[in-house]
Amino acid sequence: MDANQEPTVNRRPSLLYGALSLVLPGLGQAIAGQFRRGSGIFLTFIVLAGLSIWTVAQRARFPDLTLSAQIFWIVFLECAALLLFLICIRYLLNRFLIKDVSGQVFTQWGLIIFYAVAIFLIADSLLSNAGTSEELQQVYESTTVFSAAIFAVFWFWQIGDAARIGARQEIPSMGPAIASACLLIFVLGWNITQIDLPKAIEEYRDTQVILRQLIWPWEAAFEFEVVSVEATARVQAPCPEGEIGPPENEPIAGESWIIVTPTCGELSVLSLSGEFTPGTELTITGGNFTPGSEVEIFWKNPIGNPFRPRGVGETIIPIDENGEFVTNLNIPQALIPDTAVGAQIHTVVIREESTVVFTWRLSREMKLALVGMLETIMLGLMATFFGIIFAVPLSFLAARNLMSNIVSTISAITGGLLLAVAGLILAGLITGQISSLLGGLSENPILIALIGLVLVLGLGYLGWRLGSWGLATLGERAPAILSRILTAFLFALIGAAFGYALGLFFSRGIRAIILPDEVAALTEDRYAIFGAGVLGVISFIYAYRINFDGEIRIGMIIYAIVRTIMNIVRAIEPLIWALVGIIWVGPGPFAGTIALTLHTIAALGKLYSESIESIDPGPLEAIQATGGNRLQTIIYAVIPQVLPPFISFTIYRWDINVRLSTVIGLVGGGGIGFILIQWIRQFEYEAAGLAVWLIAITVSVLDYVSSEIRERFV
Amino acid sequence: MLQIENLTKIYDDGTQALTDVSFTVEEGEFLVVIGLSGSGKSTLLRCINRLVEPTEGRITWNGRDITAADQSELREIRREIGMIFQHFNLVKRSTVMTNVLSGRLGYTPPAWSLINRFRKEDRVRAMQALERVGIPDKAGNRADELSGGQQQRVGIARALMQEPKMILADEPVASLDPVLAHSILGNLERINQEDNMTVICSLHFLDLVQRYASRVIGLRDGVIVFEGDSQDIRQLSDERFKEIYGEEAERLGG
Ligand SMILES: Nc1ncnc2c1ncn2[C@@H]1O[C@H](COP(=O)(O)OP(=O)(O)OP(=O)(O)O)[C@@H](O)[C@H]1O
Ligand SMILES: [Mg+2]
Repeated sequence: MDANQEPTVNRRPSLLYGALSLVLPGLGQAIAGQFRRGSGIFLTFIVLAGLSIWTVAQRARFPDLTLSAQIFWIVFLECAALLLFLICIRYLLNRFLIKDVSGQVFTQWGLIIFYAVAIFLIADSLLSNAGTSEELQQVYESTTVFSAAIFAVFWFWQIGDAARIGARQEIPSMGPAIASACLLIFVLGWNITQIDLPKAIEEYRDTQVILRQLIWPWEAAFEFEVVSVEATARVQAPCPEGEIGPPENEPIAGESWIIVTPTCGELSVLSLSGEFTPGTELTITGGNFTPGSEVEIFWKNPIGNPFRPRGVGETIIPIDENGEFVTNLNIPQALIPDTAVGAQIHTVVIREESTVVFTWRLSREMKLALVGMLETIMLGLMATFFGIIFAVPLSFLAARNLMSNIVSTISAITGGLLLAVAGLILAGLITGQISSLLGGLSENPILIALIGLVLVLGLGYLGWRLGSWGLATLGERAPAILSRILTAFLFALIGAAFGYALGLFFSRGIRAIILPDEVAALTEDRYAIFGAGVLGVISFIYAYRINFDGEIRIGMIIYAIVRTIMNIVRAIEPLIWALVGIIWVGPGPFAGTIALTLHTIAALGKLYSESIESIDPGPLEAIQATGGNRLQTIIYAVIPQVLPPFISFTIYRWDINVRLSTVIGLVGGGGIGFILIQWIRQFEYEAAGLAVWLIAITVSVLDYVSSEIRERFV
Repeated sequence: MLQIENLTKIYDDGTQALTDVSFTVEEGEFLVVIGLSGSGKSTLLRCINRLVEPTEGRITWNGRDITAADQSELREIRREIGMIFQHFNLVKRSTVMTNVLSGRLGYTPPAWSLINRFRKEDRVRAMQALERVGIPDKAGNRADELSGGQQQRVGIARALMQEPKMILADEPVASLDPVLAHSILGNLERINQEDNMTVICSLHFLDLVQRYASRVIGLRDGVIVFEGDSQDIRQLSDERFKEIYGEEAERLGG
C-alpha cells in the first residue's frame, strides 16, 4: 500500500502549485506543506506591495492610494509580461539549443542583465502607457518602474518556488527572493529619504563659504584692532609779508613723517561771483609709510576740524616701494571764524589707510564659547556626581544576588509599612509646623528641606522598625488565631489602599480617555471603592492563608520595583528629560543638570547593579559565615569587588554626560550647545565653528583621559 | 555536641540534595564526610551554619537550636563556627590582613565597619593567627598575590579569628597539590588537637581520610551509607566501597 502511494504523491503536477501561487503568493507553498514559508512569502508580498504603492503615491504628491495602486499594477503587469517573455525564451533556448550547464548559466545571467537593461531603457515608455490624465503624468518616475520590475521578479520566483516544492524537489534556496526584496527596499528607501545626488553636487559650491568658516574659524577667536597711522605738519595762513611760518619738519626714523614746504602761504578764495583763486602751492613729502598702500590728505583748520580739501589737488596718494611719496597741493579754502585775527596755524594731516592688527586678546565669541564649554563640562560633572550619589544605593537594591534572600514575615512587613506611613505623615506635619515657625519655605528653604529630610527618613525608619517589631512580637504572644486575623486585616488595609489608588488611576487615566473627563469623574468613586474592595479581600485571603509568620520575599519585590523604575527612566531620552527640566526650572544649565542627573542615575544604577550581580559569591558567603551582618557583608565582600567596575563605569558615564550635555544645550539646557544653536540660527558660522571645535577638542581629550584612567583601575 | 536529626534539603529547582540525614558529632572530633561529587557533602556542611536553609529536620548545637534561630541569634551562632572553603573565598583585592580581620566581624559593632575599624587587640590576634598558619610576612600583600596554599592558610587564619568552637571545612584541599594538602590538613589537625576543636571536613582522597579522620561519614545521593572510624575506613571492603562510591568506581592506591 505504502509503496504504491509514494509515487502518486510524487506525480502530483507541480504546475498546480505554481498556479496557486500565481493567484495568491505563498498559497502553493502553504498547500504543499511549507506553511511557514508560504505565509512568510505572503506577508513579505503584502508589505512590499504596500510600501511600493505608498512610495509611488508620495512621489506624486497626491496621496490617492487607489490611483497609485492602479499605476503600479499596470506597470507591474507590463514588467511581468516582459519577464514572462524572457522566461519563455530561456526555456526554449535550454530545451532546444543550449544543453551544457555552463551555457545555461551563461544565458540565464545574460537574460537577467537583459531584463535590467530593458527596464532601464523602456522605463519612460512603460510609464507613458500608464495613463494620460494630468495626475497620472506626475507619477512619471523611474522609482515606480524599478520597484514594479523587481516586484515582478519576486512574483515569478515564488511561482517557480511553489512549483518546485510541489514537485517534491529539494527545497530551493531563498537567495533570489531575499536579494530582490533587499533590492526593492533599497530602491524604495532611496526614494523615501529623498536622496538626490545631482542636487548635492550642484549645490555644493554654495556651501563652501560656510564650510570654510565652520572648519577653520580661528580668525574669530581673537580680537583685531583697527590702527591708523597719522603724520602732521603745520602751515601758516594767511602769510603776511616777512613771515616765514612755523619751522619745517625733519624726517624721523622709525615713524611716519611728512615735510611741507613752504610752511607759510595764502588760502584759496572763492569769490561771491564764483571765481576760484587757488591758494599757495605746497609740496608735501612723506616717508616711513607702508609700501604699496595709500594715504589720504586731510586739512585741519585752526579750530581743529579736519576736512578733505577739494579742488586743490589729489588727496589720495599712493606710497612707493620705499614707503615714501611726494605730492603737490594748493592750500584749500578754509572758513576762518570772524573772531580770528591775523595769521593762523593750519595742520596738514596725512592718514594711512587704517590697517587691521592682530592682538592676543580673545574675541567676545571665543570668550563666550569658552565659558559655555566650561559650563558644559561642569554640567556633565555635576550630573555624574549626583548620579553616583543616588545610583550607588539604588544599585544595591537592584542587584538580584543581594536582594533575593531577603525575606520577612508578613506581620513584620504589614506592621512596618503601616507605622512607616504613619511616621511619614507625622514627619510631614512636624515639618509644616517648623516651616511656619521659621517663616515659610521661601525664607529658609535649605534648612527646612534638611529638617524635612531628616524627619522623613528618621520617623519613617523608626515607624518601620517599631511596626515590624511590634506586630511580629504581638503575633507571637497573642493567641494564634487572633494574630492571624489581625495581621490579615491590617494587610488587607494596605491592599485596599493600593486597590483604591489603582481604581482611581483606572478611572482617571484610562476611562477618561474614552469618556469626557466630567463624566468619568462622576463615577470614579465607584471604581476606587471597587478596586479597594477586590484587592482588600484578595489581600485578606492571601495573608490569612500564609498566616502571620508566613514569609514574603520582600527583597525581590523591592528589586522588581527599583528595576522597573530605573528601566523606565533610562528608556526616556535625556533630551526629553531636558524638556521636562526646562519647563520645571526654566532654560539654562540647571535644567540640563536635572535632565542628565535623572538619566545618569538610571543608567549608572543599571550598570552598577549588573556588576554587583556578577561578583564572586564566595567572599559573600565567607563573611556571612563569620557572623557578619548585611552591612558588613556589603562593605567587606561586595564593595572591594565592585570598586573597579564602579570607577570604570563612572568615568565612562562622565564621558557620555559631557557629550550629552552639548546636545542637551541645543534644546535649551545651557552650556555650549545653547550658545552654538543660537549662533547657527544667526548665521554666525565662524563663531559656531569655534564652538564645534571646542566641543571636538574637549570630547577627544576627555576620551583619552577617561580611557587612561579606566586602564589604570581595571 | 552537634546533633543532626532528620535533615532534608530540597533545592528550589527540586533537587533532593539530602534525605533524612541524622548523626551526632562529639566535641573534639575530626569528622570527615566522604562521597561522590554531587552526593550532598557541601549541602550538609552549609546546612550546619545555615548558608543553605534546611528544608526539614533539626540541628542542635550545645543545646541551641540552629534551625530555629532568628537572624541575630544565627549571627551569634555563626561566629562560633569557622568555615573553610574549597576556593578559599578570600576577597582577592583586599589585603591578607583585611581578609583575616574580617573573621572578627561577628564581634565588631556593624557601624565600625563604615570606617573600616577593628579593635586593637583584634589586629594583634590577626598577626598571631597568621603566625600560627606560618605566613606572618604576607600580612600586607593583596590576597590574589598569594599562592593557593597560602590563600587557604589565610582562610584558616580567618576562621581562627572567630575563636570558633567548631570548624567546617568544605573540601579545603581539593584545589591544592598533595604536599600542600598535607600541610593544610596538618594545620587543621593541630588546631583540632591543641584547642580540642571540633572539625567537620569533607574530603575526596581516601588516603587523606585515613590519615586525619577520627570518624567518617559516607554520603551517597544525599543519604548516609557509611559511618565508622578511621580503622573502619582502612578495612573498607570492596562492596562497602562500591556502596559509597557507586558501581563504576575503581579503587586507586589505598
Ligand atoms: N544552589 C543549588 N540549587 C540547586 N541544586 C543544587 C544547588 N547546590 C547544589 N545542588 C545540587 O544538590 C546536589 C548536592 O550538591 P552538593 O554541592 O552538596 O554536592 P557535593 O557532594 O558537595 O559535590 P562536590 O564534591 O562536587 O562538591 C547536587 O545534585 C547539586 O546539583
Ligand atoms: Mg561540594
